[in-house]
Amino acid sequence: MKNMRSYLKSLSVKLPDAAKRLWHGSLPEYLISSADLGAALIYMKYWALNCLTIGKYMIEMNLRLGPAGSIRTLIRNPWLFTLLKVNGLMRRYGRGRTGLYLESVCMAVNSVVTGNIDMLRQMFHHPERMVINEDLVPVDIIHAMGLDAYLLEGMGIMLPIVDPESATKYIDVAENEGMNPDACSLPKTTVGMVIKGHLPKGIAMVSSNLPCDAGAASYTFIERAYGIPTYRLDVPYDFTNERAENLFMEDVSAMIAWLEERTPGRMDWDRFREICENRNRILELELELWDMIRLRPAPLASEAVWLSHLWNVNVTPDYKESVRHFEKIVTLARRNIETGTPATVNERYRTVVWNPPFLNFSDIFNWAERTYGLTVINDSMTYHHHTPINTSTPETMLRGWCRTVMQGPMVRHTRGPAENYLDDIFRMVRQFDLDMVWVANHVGCKGGQAMNGILREKCREKGIPLLVLDYDLSDPRIVSHDNMKRQVEHFMDNVMKAKRIDQ
Amino acid sequence: MNDEKQRVMKVFRELLEDPQNRLVDQAAGSGRIPVGYSCSFVPEPLLMADRLFPVRLHATGVAGTEIADNYLSSLVCSYTRSLLEFAMDERYDRIRGFVFVPSCAHMQRLIDNLDYLKRPGFRHVIDVPRKRCDFTLKWQEEELHMLADKLSSHFGVDTSDAALMKAIDEWNHFSGAVRAIGELRKRRSPPITGVEFHHVVMASLASPKDLILPYVEELHRKIRHEEGAGNFRARLMLVGGHLHDPDFIRIIESQGGLVVADRFCTGSILGLMPVQVDGDPFRALAEHTFEKTLCPRMMEDFDRRLKAIMDTVKEYKVDGVVLEIIKFCDLWGVDSMPLVNELRKEGIPVLKLEREYRLGGEGQLRTRVQAFIESMGR
Repeated sequence: MKNMRSYLKSLSVKLPDAAKRLWHGSLPEYLISSADLGAALIYMKYWALNCLTIGKYMIEMNLRLGPAGSIRTLIRNPWLFTLLKVNGLMRRYGRGRTGLYLESVCMAVNSVVTGNIDMLRQMFHHPERMVINEDLVPVDIIHAMGLDAYLLEGMGIMLPIVDPESATKYIDVAENEGMNPDACSLPKTTVGMVIKGHLPKGIAMVSSNLPCDAGAASYTFIERAYGIPTYRLDVPYDFTNERAENLFMEDVSAMIAWLEERTPGRMDWDRFREICENRNRILELELELWDMIRLRPAPLASEAVWLSHLWNVNVTPDYKESVRHFEKIVTLARRNIETGTPATVNERYRTVVWNPPFLNFSDIFNWAERTYGLTVINDSMTYHHHTPINTSTPETMLRGWCRTVMQGPMVRHTRGPAENYLDDIFRMVRQFDLDMVWVANHVGCKGGQAMNGILREKCREKGIPLLVLDYDLSDPRIVSHDNMKRQVEHFMDNVMKAKRIDQ
Repeated sequence: MNDEKQRVMKVFRELLEDPQNRLVDQAAGSGRIPVGYSCSFVPEPLLMADRLFPVRLHATGVAGTEIADNYLSSLVCSYTRSLLEFAMDERYDRIRGFVFVPSCAHMQRLIDNLDYLKRPGFRHVIDVPRKRCDFTLKWQEEELHMLADKLSSHFGVDTSDAALMKAIDEWNHFSGAVRAIGELRKRRSPPITGVEFHHVVMASLASPKDLILPYVEELHRKIRHEEGAGNFRARLMLVGGHLHDPDFIRIIESQGGLVVADRFCTGSILGLMPVQVDGDPFRALAEHTFEKTLCPRMMEDFDRRLKAIMDTVKEYKVDGVVLEIIKFCDLWGVDSMPLVNELRKEGIPVLKLEREYRLGGEGQLRTRVQAFIESMGR
């Protein structure tokens, strides 16, 4: 009774805040505070589209798994409820934005919703042919083999983006099991979800030595927890030569043979060709987009660039929808250029975000835009050196695909000499006419931390202002959102001598 | 007899005071070439060819890492920070070449920062794969050939198969002598403590093998028929990454735990196993590298790591395992999770200790070890 009373009391204390959050994330609040009618209509359109996509899937899930099966799935995977808050995320991203820029951002969120729904289908509907892939092993080959796949770290990435606090309980579970608290919070979240049994098992797993020690090492635990066979790809340290390419190709070929032996999947090279062609088309469109955002002020920026890449290139590179998404984004950027409409009306500063974007506070970019006219043009997770995959033979396709993996973000920058890391930053500064560099100084990313000293001195030599923004990828308890904002404010006030535009 | 043992032990202790000890100076003075290395994946025999000799880089006695922290940040493992600090302090100035392995993110960035701050005249990175299979073994063999060619052209030394075979013989003789002392620890009442043995191993790894060998053999002769290193409450095994400072073991032993087995990077178990050559010496060294190094960076080796510990526990009649992990080491930090679970499942008591490279928090360490030994009912 006493417990019940204290529970009700704590609930009543939390209630006003919860109601405030609910109101701030709601459609009516957006409509009231909307910049103009056009913005309200765009937001409503994507709000409805997201609801429709989710609603349709809930019906499909009921039909496929039956009502009892659906309820069981929801109970076993409670994080699904967090994903329902996606419109709140779109609301945060959309704040203060208008026109085609707002549309591109909403479109990026909608592409994530659509892609996520398809991932859920693969997670829950065909367990007998479902393979787990680690986040830097693209799904292309698994899909070309006719298998289903889901990204084990996918939810560890998505959950804190949608709800900043949602990964913390999993982080606590992993630490309580004995995982070192200073490890990256993404593998900690993933391990926590595995321990809680909140992610389905599948029949096999493909992981790698990427992107970091904690991520790679966590698969020893996960493999034992799931008791399923695991193949581990090994990207060499110095990967920019033919010898390394050959080694990795041999490894990937062995992985295909391994999967054929242990799963019902069979390699279909024609299907793989289609997937590679899809990738090539996305690459073409993305490079066109990058060319356009070089303009000052940029026609599109921020989520339209990084979120589009994060999901459509890293998670669903083989989807026709991903090509369509980039086609639409490029069209919107072109239209903004033609009409002379900048993404940010007051674009005063341009920056790159180096290292993974702030998962638990990704709307900091929106805040920076509204506060200082500071636009995030591109980020290290998006920036790559990909070249089109030659689709003439299986051998050329495999080589091209391997090269794409090895040159991918977080592979290129965590391997090889420091030049791989540093040169890309300074190349981006030139390519995108940037005014500063932001380093997303994730406390768990030791490889990145250890480059800050050199980077600081190199930036000083070149006269490039550098903000090293301390944070934790998925855990807002380590560095609060207010603290992160203060770091930006101090940098903008003291180094950039910038005037706020929101006052 | 005890005085004679202490006299030899004093030599080992003194040799560990400086990363470039008097034997390194003596060898360098006679025209030989010291080559530093920082990871067990570097095959020592290759650095013993012709006039070369390997020096395991350590920073024992490092007082602080203020300069290194500016570059590597304070969130990176203190071993790499200590090495960088010593390098910046010219403490490796007589080492003429460096061979590294990007064994983890920390070590990889140490190489980058050294290149930036103090690029050595000769430095080479061996790209050791993170799994062992036919094609990675072949790759590793090629890597060793590349290193041999580079050493040969830079220093003008002979790294031919014949020179390598000679070096392997020398290594096998040296490691056999150290192992012979280690074997004595299997006895019910070993004639050497854990801290003494670690002095021997560390000093040996940091010195030219031929020059330190007489001391190792002398020590063996003096203690092989001796009994009893004292009264101890429990026999312990140390497992983990880099452990250089023997004082860490001294504190453990001060609480009544005798360290009888060492399964860590700079330990003797598997680390000092002989190289078996059956044909090509480069191939043998490639195989040896994968065989002797039980690091969690090797993605598919967990079962072998676990088995090596279990076997050692049985062989050395170990009562409990102390898992020592340098703070911020992700490889050991994450790997310890399943490792501790599995060992406890087998009924082996485990104490997991996070520590810094240099000795610190002695009081806390004492309390934890004491509580651990008591928890075993000893």
